Amino acid sequence: MTEPAQFNTDNAVNDEAVTAFETSAPSPSSDCKGFEVRHLVKQYANADKPVLNDISFKVEHGTVLVVLGPSGSGKSTLLRTIAGLEPIQGGTISINDQVIDEGRPGTEKAGRSNRSSALRTRIGMVFQSYDLFPNKTVLGNITMAPLLVQKRDKAQVEAEALKLLDRVGLADRKDAWPHELSGGQRQRVAICRALILHPEVLLLDEITAALDPEMVREVLDVVLELAKAGQTMLIVTHEMQFARAIADHVILLDGGHIVEESHDAYAFFAHPQTERARQFLHTFEFE
Amino acid sequence: MQGAEILLQPGVFPRLLQGLWVTVWIAGVSVGVSIPVGLVVGWLMTLKNPVVRALMRIYLDFIRIMPQLALLFLAYYGFARWFDWNLDATGACVLVFILWGGAELGDLVRGALQSIPKVQYESSYVLGLSPWQTFSRVILPQAVRRLLPASVNLATRIVKTTSLAVLLGVVEVIKVGQQIIDANRFQYPSGTLWIYGVIFFMYFIVCWPLSIVARQLEKRWSHD
Repeated sequence: MTEPAQFNTDNAVNDEAVTAFETSAPSPSSDCKGFEVRHLVKQYANADKPVLNDISFKVEHGTVLVVLGPSGSGKSTLLRTIAGLEPIQGGTISINDQVIDEGRPGTEKAGRSNRSSALRTRIGMVFQSYDLFPNKTVLGNITMAPLLVQKRDKAQVEAEALKLLDRVGLADRKDAWPHELSGGQRQRVAICRALILHPEVLLLDEITAALDPEMVREVLDVVLELAKAGQTMLIVTHEMQFARAIADHVILLDGGHIVEESHDAYAFFAHPQTERARQFLHTFEFE
Repeated sequence: MQGAEILLQPGVFPRLLQGLWVTVWIAGVSVGVSIPVGLVVGWLMTLKNPVVRALMRIYLDFIRIMPQLALLFLAYYGFARWFDWNLDATGACVLVFILWGGAELGDLVRGALQSIPKVQYESSYVLGLSPWQTFSRVILPQAVRRLLPASVNLATRIVKTTSLAVLLGVVEVIKVGQQIIDANRFQYPSGTLWIYGVIFFMYFIVCWPLSIVARQLEKRWSHD
């Protein structure tokens, strides 16, 4: 790998931005336990083997886990099960030692986990496709869930939405419609839409993969700022330099298993321990 | 301008307007009731339950295959007599047009619902919205935008098809026109063209604004 010059968390971020994000980041709980997945199994009804088999890892509060892996390795499925979009057939998902989802055999065909809406708001997610709700303005997109689901005060929610928009550089677009925004702008609004619910964990599923190359940076910079502000995140990405700059913890998935796990991102990228990881990282080099 | 004087006969215009009112009433009630029926039918069509799907399929195909006139006769002469149901001609018309509009609109609703990207449902779920909030706040508003142009088109078709009501003896605008023509056959032998010309213009006045609204909405919502 080449030297990671592009994404350096120390100088790419301005400190003023970081402090503002802290208002939307979750207030650290007393025990600071973080997020944990244990022995997670995801099995589809018509597949002979599980898509995810016995996945276990822990993400400390305020840290960033980057999930890497070739396509079809189960990375996106992992995030989807954590978000509750797919029921799990084994294992547990917990936040601060509270189990929020438990594997149940026989749910292979079910569409969603049966998690309550209050539990769902504790985990935010931004998707690869940069669709907002096209029938709502930027502000409407962001304020909908806090108003409808959390029943928060309208003035307070709007004020917070504006603050978030200001942080991602889109305060002047609050009344714009989604179709008037570029992909990168929409993705930044989608991040605000997730953050306003104060999720304890934020899941980012290849959020720049569908964007034009020149819009990738503006989105990743926002994510770097979030990391600095202490937002717990699970990130699936193919941007290797970004992954190296932001990760506190890396796992490499292949065939539904964790092939390699490292708590030292620089070491992982420089000296992967397994042959599979070397092979995988090698596909991103062009010397 | 031969025969145009027929239009100046006292009572001609008011009677035509009365006939037009019957036409508009049948079409209006039919379209109005078709909307909720269509929404429910469209929603049922998206369900995975095979029995519900098969029933909806049969309903839609039956309505589409049968000519509207045959449906009208079936409803008026068959159905109502059969079940000893005191259904007058206007009632039979409204019933058939509701069944027809409900089926056609249902299919439009189904198409619109199925065209909404999956990520809209997924974003809503992750944001904590309940299934009903997702449907009413996210999916339905988008679906309505997609199906509005086609459903306005359907409404104009229903307005025009109400002319078949003549054949059940409903005195709507065409029937009134025929009565006026018959009554003045000797006095104004060439009045026919004028009466039908006015009727043409009346249909136009009713349907044209609908087309304009549809076009405007299409233009405004074309981006999503």
